[in-house]
Amino acid sequence: MHTPVLFDDSVCNGCNVCVEVCPMDIFAPNPEENRPPLVLYGDECRYCGACWMRCPRRKDKALKIVVPPSMRVSILRGARTEVRG
Amino acid sequence: MNSNLQAITIETDVLVIGGGLAGCMAAIKASEHGVKVVLAEKANTENSGCAGTGIDHSWAYIPPVHEPMGYSLQDMMEDHIQGASGGFVNRELLYLAVSRNYDRMLDLEKFGINIRYPDSNLPGKFRVVTQFHSVPTSFNFDGRSLKLQMTREAKRRGVKIFNRVMITDLLSSDGEVAGAVGFGVRDGNIYCFRAKAVVLSTGRSNRMTRSMSGPRYNLRVPAEDTGDGKAMALRAGVGVINMELLTGLWFNIGGNEINLGSPRNTTQPAGSITGPNGEVFVGRTQFYDWRKLGKEKIEAAEVRRQWLQLRSAPPDYYALRRQGQGPFFLDLTAGTEEEIKYIEWSIGNEGKGYWWLDSIKQQEGFDFRKDKLEYLPNTRELSIAQAAGVVVDKNLETELKGLFAAGDEVGGLPFSSSPGAFSMGWQVGDLAALRARKQNSLREVGGEAVDSLNQICTRMLEEKNGFHWTELELAVQQVVDYYCGDERSENYLVRGLERLDQLRAETPLMAANAHELGRCLEVRSIIENAEMVMRASMERKESRVQPSRFTRPDYPERDDANFFCFLSQKRVRGEVKFSRITFV
Repeated sequence: MHTPVLFDDSVCNGCNVCVEVCPMDIFAPNPEENRPPLVLYGDECRYCGACWMRCPRRKDKALKIVVPPSMRVSILRGARTEVRG
Repeated sequence: MNSNLQAITIETDVLVIGGGLAGCMAAIKASEHGVKVVLAEKANTENSGCAGTGIDHSWAYIPPVHEPMGYSLQDMMEDHIQGASGGFVNRELLYLAVSRNYDRMLDLEKFGINIRYPDSNLPGKFRVVTQFHSVPTSFNFDGRSLKLQMTREAKRRGVKIFNRVMITDLLSSDGEVAGAVGFGVRDGNIYCFRAKAVVLSTGRSNRMTRSMSGPRYNLRVPAEDTGDGKAMALRAGVGVINMELLTGLWFNIGGNEINLGSPRNTTQPAGSITGPNGEVFVGRTQFYDWRKLGKEKIEAAEVRRQWLQLRSAPPDYYALRRQGQGPFFLDLTAGTEEEIKYIEWSIGNEGKGYWWLDSIKQQEGFDFRKDKLEYLPNTRELSIAQAAGVVVDKNLETELKGLFAAGDEVGGLPFSSSPGAFSMGWQVGDLAALRARKQNSLREVGGEAVDSLNQICTRMLEEKNGFHWTELELAVQQVVDYYCGDERSENYLVRGLERLDQLRAETPLMAANAHELGRCLEVRSIIENAEMVMRASMERKESRVQPSRFTRPDYPERDDANFFCFLSQKRVRGEVKFSRITFV
């Protein structure tokens, strides 16, 4: 159901660091060399961010963590509250 | 996948089961004694466990900071006993963590972790903040990559790491530990480790209750921790305590389930909990101004008295809701620039915080200075406050000789977390290696454990009409949530245990490959942990608030005469028996 990680094919070179470190083991190396890994078990993602944190091409946005709607934080935007202890 | 599994035998002096903070620390220390050390880890030690994607603090008695201010080691012990744990604490374990964790903080620097900050006025340029005690005791460090650094250190010292091997059972002979068996969750092999001493450090027992946010493994705590250690310890005849203290419903940042404190930890002192119109449910709190730290002498007993008076249990948000109050928001908008900067640093160095903060800033334009985050119900858990785990003696040895335990595997130290992992890990690494050096040879073990694991795995691989592991896991979670929720009466617990028995008997699992087989074995651990929780909930015939809210409608009063103690469950000749352990 969930696709927790999207790879950018033009940036990711298939180094597979994410495949190695994912604690839930959701990825598999792409059978084609130098291509992004496959997300085999997307529903088992625990959204820890290890794949993103360890990606050598993170700054160039080789991968993106997709937050499912039910997991988005609920933000109240507005003015400052003056709160004293 | 073909069901002929290959068995691989590995011989070592010390075997460490579970490579989180405690396990890595144990392996690193054991290697100093010139013995062979093997570490078996279900995921990958570089990013696994509670510290997998970072940890930024650890409580400790810090002599260069605390001594001059007149705050003694005994003061910190008292703070922890009276404040954090409500007396539910093993003082020997507490003393170990309080007195030894500062040395471990200095070790972190040797592993390449920054522990000093140029803007600090404290001795050592340390940064120390308030969390669990009456004065600041939480020692900060740049721990985002700590697990990677510790893995490198362990490898540098010759520790042999087996990643993606899930240990399922301990091996023993004549009442002494002899090793362990496990399953390769990628390669599909059966592993038999023979060892002279074993360290058990698999961490917490998660996934017993349904996820509140949708994705089943988006939890505050690591979903790969399924209580495998506690399950195998019980099967091996080792006592397990505090399992009844599984939390009721609780509130924190909703959706992501990121833990930003109560708001008295990570977000202290800027954080408060407010309503949509600015009404205050938890005010901005400042028990001790950290900026004064190191500059003044304090009257520790008096500071503690005030702190105990000021700190109170978090509000009962459900009760407030029933009165029409709320919704509730974590509100840092009154924080100073310095506080917000610090809190963002802290979030970015711990847990899921690094990518999460980046994503809400980039994608939502979020800013703590003007935006608030909603408090929503989070997934129930057996958390660090409860200190559930195996029974150990003062040398951290379990009732099975030669089997040591460390970190969140050990029962009896509320808020053990990283201080417990560092200090106990170090201690058991030392003791396990010393024991291994005294043993001349490996103990003989029969092949029964390997055969038995092989049979379990083969059956799941060959099963054609079974269920997928997710189906059974969800069914177990439904049972725990309904029969063992906020209120737990005898009749419900009896029924819940009957339903777990039924699920076990009537839900054969099937697996198509090694990955699925590993998950099936995890579900087996989850069921056994759930049974421990329900059995222990039946045994505790009272209600109490600390160390965590435990409500038995059929025994509504707190009963210190009979239950101010740990309840230990242990398998004796196939039957689980309880005994009471008084606090030492």
